[in-house]
Amino acid sequence: MSSKNRILLLIIGSVILLAGIFAILNLGNHATSDDPPQSIMLYCAASNRAVMESIREDYEQEFGRKVDIQYGPSQTLLSSIEVTRSGDLFLPADDSYLDMARDKQLVAEVVPIARMQAVVAIKRNNPKSIEQFSDLLRDEVRLVMASPDTAAIGKVVREVLSADGQWELIESSVTASRATVNEVANDVAIGAADAGIVYDAVLNTYDDLEYIELPELADAASQISVGVIASTDQPQAALHFARYLSARDRGLKHYAEFGFRTRGGDTWSDVPELSIFAGSMLRPAIEDTIAAFEKREGIKVNRVYNGCGILVAQMKAGQHPDAYFACDSEFMNQVHDLFPEPVPVSQNELVILVQKGNPKNIRSLRDLTRKDLRVGIGHEKQCAMGWVTQNTFRESGIQQEVMPNVTVQSPTGDMLVNQLLTGSLDTAVAYLSNAAGASESLDAIRIQDISCSVATQPWAVAEESKYPELAGRLFQQICSQSSQGIFAAEGFRWQLDANKGE
Amino acid sequence: MTSEVEPSVTVTTKKGLAVRRRRSDVPFFFVMSAISALFVLLIVLLLAADILFTSFSDFTAALAKPEIQVAFRLTMLSCTAAAILSIWVATPLGYLLSRYRFPGRWMIDTLVDIPIVLPPLVLGLSLLILFHLPVGGWELEAWLRDSVGFPVTYRWPAVVLAQFSVACAFAVRTMRVTFDQIDPRAEDVARTLGCTRAQAFMQIAIPQAWRGMIAATTIAWARALGEFGPILVFAGATRMRTEVLSTTVFLELSVGQLDAAVAVSLLMVAMAVIVLLVLRVLGTGLTA
Repeated sequence: MSSKNRILLLIIGSVILLAGIFAILNLGNHATSDDPPQSIMLYCAASNRAVMESIREDYEQEFGRKVDIQYGPSQTLLSSIEVTRSGDLFLPADDSYLDMARDKQLVAEVVPIARMQAVVAIKRNNPKSIEQFSDLLRDEVRLVMASPDTAAIGKVVREVLSADGQWELIESSVTASRATVNEVANDVAIGAADAGIVYDAVLNTYDDLEYIELPELADAASQISVGVIASTDQPQAALHFARYLSARDRGLKHYAEFGFRTRGGDTWSDVPELSIFAGSMLRPAIEDTIAAFEKREGIKVNRVYNGCGILVAQMKAGQHPDAYFACDSEFMNQVHDLFPEPVPVSQNELVILVQKGNPKNIRSLRDLTRKDLRVGIGHEKQCAMGWVTQNTFRESGIQQEVMPNVTVQSPTGDMLVNQLLTGSLDTAVAYLSNAAGASESLDAIRIQDISCSVATQPWAVAEESKYPELAGRLFQQICSQSSQGIFAAEGFRWQLDANKGE
Repeated sequence: MTSEVEPSVTVTTKKGLAVRRRRSDVPFFFVMSAISALFVLLIVLLLAADILFTSFSDFTAALAKPEIQVAFRLTMLSCTAAAILSIWVATPLGYLLSRYRFPGRWMIDTLVDIPIVLPPLVLGLSLLILFHLPVGGWELEAWLRDSVGFPVTYRWPAVVLAQFSVACAFAVRTMRVTFDQIDPRAEDVARTLGCTRAQAFMQIAIPQAWRGMIAATTIAWARALGEFGPILVFAGATRMRTEVLSTTVFLELSVGQLDAAVAVSLLMVAMAVIVLLVLRVLGTGLTA
């Protein structure tokens, strides 16, 4: 064959070969593009691969929804998300990367999963007899640890040991500093080091290694959480998998098997139903937020709005919601056994509501004692407002005189507003938030110098709730900036530090 | 080598000097061989350590994993595709850089070398940015995905492109040296006899550059096999989809599966040896 023909043959051959390769690769590609449209893409730290693969397998089997997982170093994954703005979920090696992602507004919800504890990895049977912190400082012990500048564990350990003034000691004893925690474990596994400071969960896949826990490192722990990528176009599906990951009877079981420390977590439900009890006055402030939360999470929130006294009675009668948003702390205190950790969220001011233009010329609480007035107040047993009103009357010394004028005691402030609007009352004592939607027809007169006229609204998640994490996420939404704006528009004064709610 | 160890025939007049030369050859070859052997020994020891670290059962167990089999298949296909694409691009580019002096040649020469000197992760990040940079609302990746129906990022084309970007740079350098070493006189003569530039290139230059092309393909394939950073960033390491053997080693190491990591490494060594040998035989013949 002439060289000319041979070259021609090779050119044609290479074209055919290349076309064949692309065809084969594309065939595989089509197999994935025919997947159900709701497949999820998760950016996952490579260190979580073993546990994630087992969870993925179960999830895909249970729901038939495919999960594409992209593994890599956390920082690399974060950079990829930043550049491509693609994907649904981000699960880094520890939640410091999620803080970074949140600062860059790359991540919306953050769902906690498991914890990892800093420990000292050693060869099985402890050939170097390393038992306490001082053993790490011995000359013959080759100690490696991850760099505080590149790895989360290094950073955490530095913070904890610096607080004890022991960081310099350990730093001077380190034989080598590695980029990742896995490199440290690998060093100990292959015998390049005698001891290494690692996360306990990392060692689960190392058969030849064991670990010792040191009191000096007791506070050095990292949290693993999964974040929903803010730009996802399928938050429901993403959150469905995030809930699965963090469910105590699903994902957390796997995490525990793989050596991670798990605590709490929600009970798994495909479409969980969260029940919320809330004082009636809070309805306009939280209803839209809850509806949006329901839609985004793909869950159901059963909310019961009523006077807080009635709600407390219902709870004492055996109804136990997942969370309670009370009109005043007094009512939360009455169910303290169910809600041990209430958080004060907002405040609402008691005011005197009158018809527009104040035709009866009411200026203060004292004026409510006038004989010609029909006064409406809240029921002191059925709602927080009534209870606060009675306290306020008592404090101002008019309780005896005003009660004969009280025409009606309603379980909610909204009813008082309606009665005022229909003209069946001349005035009512209600919350400023009750009148927020009726400012065209009603005026509000401030009650001066009576501190108890201000009610504080606390939020708490029930101790026995099946969905504490889900309820916690709802609370995060209630604490969001947009929600705070609604509270302000409805006459509430925000009390909780925004950061505490997050 | 033996033909070179017979210089003594030239030494006839000064016997003493001839004796000194024969004596000096032995230490010379001893030192040269010892130094060379050190490197060869190092490689042999590395492989031996890997083999001793794992067992045959670990090796077969790792290779039996479906994800590793998929990674093996993708590695073979993508490396071959990247190597073929590289030689297609490297042959004309190497020829132009070798034969012609044109404005901006130095700049092209420098640009072509950039993938070689660039840190691999940076190359991957650059590819990622290139495909996702919005220009007046238009984005290359979005256009390819929505209009052409050919998504690249985190798919197999990204693997091939990441491998090609580095492999081609090495292939261009090899082809340029190849054409530099071929005397252009034969092509000039062909042109005086009526050949066009294209005919001279196809019928004179290419047949002479044959071995260089094989070498360039070999280097491109080998570089593609070892590529890791750009793939991890641009194509990701999605199991059963964009995972190649180099990313498999990384993933196995990340979860402490040293046995599996070593087994896959040995598989890569075996693949490299086989492919490089085949290409060498094709290019230079068995005896070379």
